Amino acid sequence: METFKLRVFRYDPTKDTEPYYKTYELPVEKGMTVLAALFKAKEEQDPSISFRYNCRAAICGSCAVRINGHAALACKVQITHLLKKYETDTITVEPIGNVRPLKDLIYDMDWLIDKMKKVKPWFIPKEAPPADGKEYRQSPEDHNKIDFASDCILCASCMSDCNALKVNKDFLGPMVHSKAYRFAADTRDGAKRERLEAVLEDLNLEWCVRCWECTTRCPKEVQPYENIIRLRIMAAEEGFKTPGEIHAEIFEQDILNRGLLNEMLLPMRQEGILGAIKRAPFGIKMMFKGKVNYADFFGGHKIRRLEEIKVIYEKAKEKEKEINIKLPQIMGVIYEDKRKTAKRKNFAESGGNE
Amino acid sequence: MADLKYAFYTGCSAKGVAPELYESTKLVAEKLGMELIELDAASCCGAGAVQEKDEFLALTINARNLALAEELGLDLLTICNTCTVMLRETKFKLDNDPELKKAVNEVLAEAGLEYKGTSEVTHFLWEIIDGVGLDTLRAMVIRPLKEFNIAPFYGCHIIRPPYLIGYEDPDNPKSLEMVIEALGGNPTDHEAKLACCGFHSFWSAEDKVTLRLTAYDANSAKEAQADFMVTPCPLCHTQLDAMQEEAEERIGIQIGMPVLHLPQLIGLAIGFKPHELGLQKHIITPEKVINAFS
Repeated sequence: METFKLRVFRYDPTKDTEPYYKTYELPVEKGMTVLAALFKAKEEQDPSISFRYNCRAAICGSCAVRINGHAALACKVQITHLLKKYETDTITVEPIGNVRPLKDLIYDMDWLIDKMKKVKPWFIPKEAPPADGKEYRQSPEDHNKIDFASDCILCASCMSDCNALKVNKDFLGPMVHSKAYRFAADTRDGAKRERLEAVLEDLNLEWCVRCWECTTRCPKEVQPYENIIRLRIMAAEEGFKTPGEIHAEIFEQDILNRGLLNEMLLPMRQEGILGAIKRAPFGIKMMFKGKVNYADFFGGHKIRRLEEIKVIYEKAKEKEKEINIKLPQIMGVIYEDKRKTAKRKNFAESGGNE
Repeated sequence: MADLKYAFYTGCSAKGVAPELYESTKLVAEKLGMELIELDAASCCGAGAVQEKDEFLALTINARNLALAEELGLDLLTICNTCTVMLRETKFKLDNDPELKKAVNEVLAEAGLEYKGTSEVTHFLWEIIDGVGLDTLRAMVIRPLKEFNIAPFYGCHIIRPPYLIGYEDPDNPKSLEMVIEALGGNPTDHEAKLACCGFHSFWSAEDKVTLRLTAYDANSAKEAQADFMVTPCPLCHTQLDAMQEEAEERIGIQIGMPVLHLPQLIGLAIGFKPHELGLQKHIITPEKVINAFS
């Protein structure tokens, strides 16, 4: 009988000074999920293993754990797939990242709830209910903008693998920013500005490093990263002047005036003369190493056919108001299918992953 | 050998703070039989910044970049992860939304251009594997990198998000290790292999996030006893190499981890000298490498 090793993070603060890992050997069964494997280990080998679960159908969000280093719902991922994916006989299960473990795979949820409170994750109506006694209504197009963001099951898989949260626990995090977007973008909601102010407090929304981990981890295609970007677009439209907004303007001006970004003049334009002085020692170090393109201090190189950009810029600005850019989910994104589209013949043959 | 001809999209960094990436890419590509036709009319991809202010403009500008490759009838080759994801995102949105494609083409038409969707967006790393091929690469190695423990650092936008990138499993990628092994080097697994360098929040969260990530990443390679890191992305390189001393200072640790661009790594193994590849331009000088090859 084929078996595999289930290596489980164990920690009981009433007994253990340090967390440790305990390994259980289990049979490989077709269709067995990580959650089923945890149950089997608990029922047959060690009744003391603690973990959270409820629906067993990827709906409740209770069983998020880290599996071989990446967050996922234990009830959604199958052992046979994992063994193949990681080419291993060992599946390591830990609590999700960026949290305080309470016992084994169970972690403290209070800090997630405290963060969530900051963005008031509830509907604040813009106006009184419709006089006809029916529900607040909106068009299908308007609903599409928040439909997928509403699918969040608060499993915190995105929070687990967030790079910004990893190094700074004050970051509100993708789950929270995404929830703020869900309400700020709701045409029936009356607290858009207040919500934007909440996510921009200490410019937290701009701490996101664009690593796209949250979207990669989300088991429900909520796309937290894309929602963070949409929140930033909303903030720009509402006239918030943030470092990100200044940065975008510099990029836009450089594309228009020379085609490529002028990295040499960027610090000065981003932070002003004081910023440039602060960055001077760094600049000198770069010059000394030959990393500085001196011509760029005087405008520098321009791309060929720059005049096309100017025409495109004018016309795009004129046209953008009538354009409704659809969310990737609306376009029918199925992750698994998309992974197969890249050309990868030689890659697979030379020993790459499936 | 297959026809290895590409529309070469340099991006801003290779023309700005990472001249050694541009130079080493050209040298290595030529020696490996890749013909790079430089898109000297291409513009910046917007790097996510323009996308956050003016999404339609960013899509149109990138549709123009893609149309320039289509004019040549070639796939577009990048040497920067963020360029890769931005161009692929544009392609994804336009190819999946006929209305949007039509609107973008109405704008492009004013400049006499059209986006058709006929060119793929590929990265130098992927073409080393799928174009040149690892067997060919192995056969061209003159000086195997056998004494070096090399820590791969993928950088986010060459693995995530899978719906835009999709080259390999984002949870267990192997392409960099495969190239390192083909060059005779020892890939060194480390905690931050798939982590973020922090580059994109530099101007908003330099102290709060960016430099903390930079220190974490470089230190992760150090703890795994790597001699140096290698990355396929110039933004990761700038962050991990040029900003490493700043990160050390803010966090209060000593790291001193050199970082090489992928084409530099290949270049060393196929017979180029460190100074030809611009290794002396790095802020953290890879002394062990320079000494071994000089």
